Amino acid sequence: MDEKLTEASSKDNYRQEPRVGVYVCHCGGNISDIIDVKAVAAALAKYPGVTVAREYAFMCSSNGQDLIAEDIKNLGVNRTVVAACSPSLHELTFRNVLQRAGVNPYLHEHINIREQASWVHKADHDGATAKAIKLAQAGVEKVLRKDALNAIRVAAEPRVAVIGGGAAGMRAALSAAGKGLEAVILEKGPRLGGKLLELGKMYPSGEEGPAAAKKLEDLVLAEPKITVHTGAEIDFVSGFVGNFVINFKKPDGNMAQVKAGALIMATGYEHYKPYKGEFGYGEDANVVTLPEFIGLLKNAPAGRLEYGGREIKSLAMIHCVGSRQVEGVHKPQADGKVNDYCSRVCCTAALHTANQLKDKYPGVRVYDIYRDIRTYGMKHEEYYDKASRDNVLFIRHNEADQPAVTSDRSGHTVKVKDVLTWGEELELKADLLVLVTGLMPADISLIKSQLKLPSSADRFLQEVHPKLRPVELANSGIFVAGTAQYPMDVTEAMASAGTAAAKAGILLAEPDIPLEPFVAVVDEHKCTGCGLCPPECSYDGALTMGEKNGKKIAVVNPALCKGCGACVAVCPERAIDVAGWTLDQFDAMVDAIAKE
Amino acid sequence: MPKKILIITTNHSSYPGADAVGQARLGYGANTYIIRVPDPVMFPEDFYLRAYAKGIAGIIIMSSGSDCPYEGAYERLSKRIARVYEKMKAKGIAANRLKLTTICTVCRAAFLKEISEMEKAVAAI
Repeated sequence: MDEKLTEASSKDNYRQEPRVGVYVCHCGGNISDIIDVKAVAAALAKYPGVTVAREYAFMCSSNGQDLIAEDIKNLGVNRTVVAACSPSLHELTFRNVLQRAGVNPYLHEHINIREQASWVHKADHDGATAKAIKLAQAGVEKVLRKDALNAIRVAAEPRVAVIGGGAAGMRAALSAAGKGLEAVILEKGPRLGGKLLELGKMYPSGEEGPAAAKKLEDLVLAEPKITVHTGAEIDFVSGFVGNFVINFKKPDGNMAQVKAGALIMATGYEHYKPYKGEFGYGEDANVVTLPEFIGLLKNAPAGRLEYGGREIKSLAMIHCVGSRQVEGVHKPQADGKVNDYCSRVCCTAALHTANQLKDKYPGVRVYDIYRDIRTYGMKHEEYYDKASRDNVLFIRHNEADQPAVTSDRSGHTVKVKDVLTWGEELELKADLLVLVTGLMPADISLIKSQLKLPSSADRFLQEVHPKLRPVELANSGIFVAGTAQYPMDVTEAMASAGTAAAKAGILLAEPDIPLEPFVAVVDEHKCTGCGLCPPECSYDGALTMGEKNGKKIAVVNPALCKGCGACVAVCPERAIDVAGWTLDQFDAMVDAIAKE
Repeated sequence: MPKKILIITTNHSSYPGADAVGQARLGYGANTYIIRVPDPVMFPEDFYLRAYAKGIAGIIIMSSGSDCPYEGAYERLSKRIARVYEKMKAKGIAANRLKLTTICTVCRAAFLKEISEMEKAVAAI
């Protein structure tokens, strides 16, 4: 599909004389109990550029919105300032009022006098009122300098590419297909299933991992809207929202390409691999990780638990191996940082495994050595209760006193300072050590560097906001599903995948995508072509030097620009700005705030 | 007149953090003025100097830090603020009147601590 970009914004399409309407909300009494809203409206009514200033009980109500619409119709108001609650709640509400009344929706400024004034200055009514007046005046100064903006529209490929064919990837593709979208799964392994294929009985259903994978795989393969490429080695990912291109190598060595309007990163996790000698791992055969033990338990015959030809009569599990690491105590990873995050799922997985072990081999003595037990899911605490009932012995240590393991022919000796017995030093003999290892993100450094995907301090992909935009990355059109985001269990991964698919479905519901126009814009009359701004831009192709009418100027690709403004600060002519957030606006706001 | 503190927040992180302080009904001085931006990396050095010249007593830049969704923006901002400090020194403006910090969407205690420290700094002017 050809890329079609409409004009991002125009600095010249709104030349009417500014007539500002200011609207101060009581929010019931949330604002007006502290702030003298009548005084605020009266002060603003006299402010230069303001045509009308009103206060009202609930500006967000139908009646409140009608007040604005009527002023637009009767008084010629063509810009608005609403002083009310946080813009996160109602900025869009008021933009829509302007749009319905025939005014460009971006000629609105939302001032927060509730969360950031009345609610935090309860003991200072005069101060809060003076502050609200200053903030509203700053809002007027800003809106007076705003330009009408047009949403960016990008023609989009009606297809979602899902990178990763594990539980989250398959669920995301199925959900996307259920919404009528084409979906393409790119899986690097030889078959679909990912880590599900390695799991034994899963909580809470007791279903075996491979059986669950098979069910999902059958659904995927039966869905005509889903195309699957296994053994796909991604070579290069490029593009932007609506128009991503993925080049990959097929198992036969030939290259292929997928075009997609949205990407879902379902790239999963890797198990933490203990370093050689960590609690004896890699040096002593009878030290295994929890995933390795799950594999052992899955295939072990009934009656007698054996490992390496030797009967296992006692077993010690050590939690938090590779998770909740402490600087100075634990060995850092390759990037020099320790894994200080909690891997979340390992406690429940360990207890679930201990319970299966006790069910199958009641005579095996199990020690559970932990710092904290975090069985956070619904009814997961029951696994802890069952393990306690089945005489799993829990020993708790603190973060500075790590368990020490010594091994000889007779097995392992774990020395641990148990805080549950007020710091008593315990020595436990165990035939097998099981290291409850954490999760680390899969290595997707190539894709991350090519698409400039944001990572958290824990190296997982980072969402824009954990509550407000939990599956969106800062890169428009790219979503995250499953453990690529943080450690989670299969149930959570499936839910997250459904959410990511829903967001992709919303994005691609129309043939072209409207985007917020808050991207860099160049005033070509002011631009001298000095070339200082492109090196400041971190996004390939977003800001380049070009030529117009024989003049060298900076050129913005609005579909690639993220609107951070890094380029703005270095322009000596102020020829480049982020639309809707210009330096002139902020200077004027500061002037209004600073003025006595 | 109380000395005014300008607080520059980010749309993604510290502005919701300031909202969280209000939602918890915590309190701080009414001499604080919060503005929001996509990212403070957009402001040139002179923006800060101009604000002081206009009468702003203290400026707290509440960035998104290492959680910034914009590639490379925090590193650029840090370097720029180092240059602002140099210019402030040349003009005889106390360094503690400018603070670059990181505030997340739920960093309520840190938000209040930064304001408290800036209050002390501007009181000494």
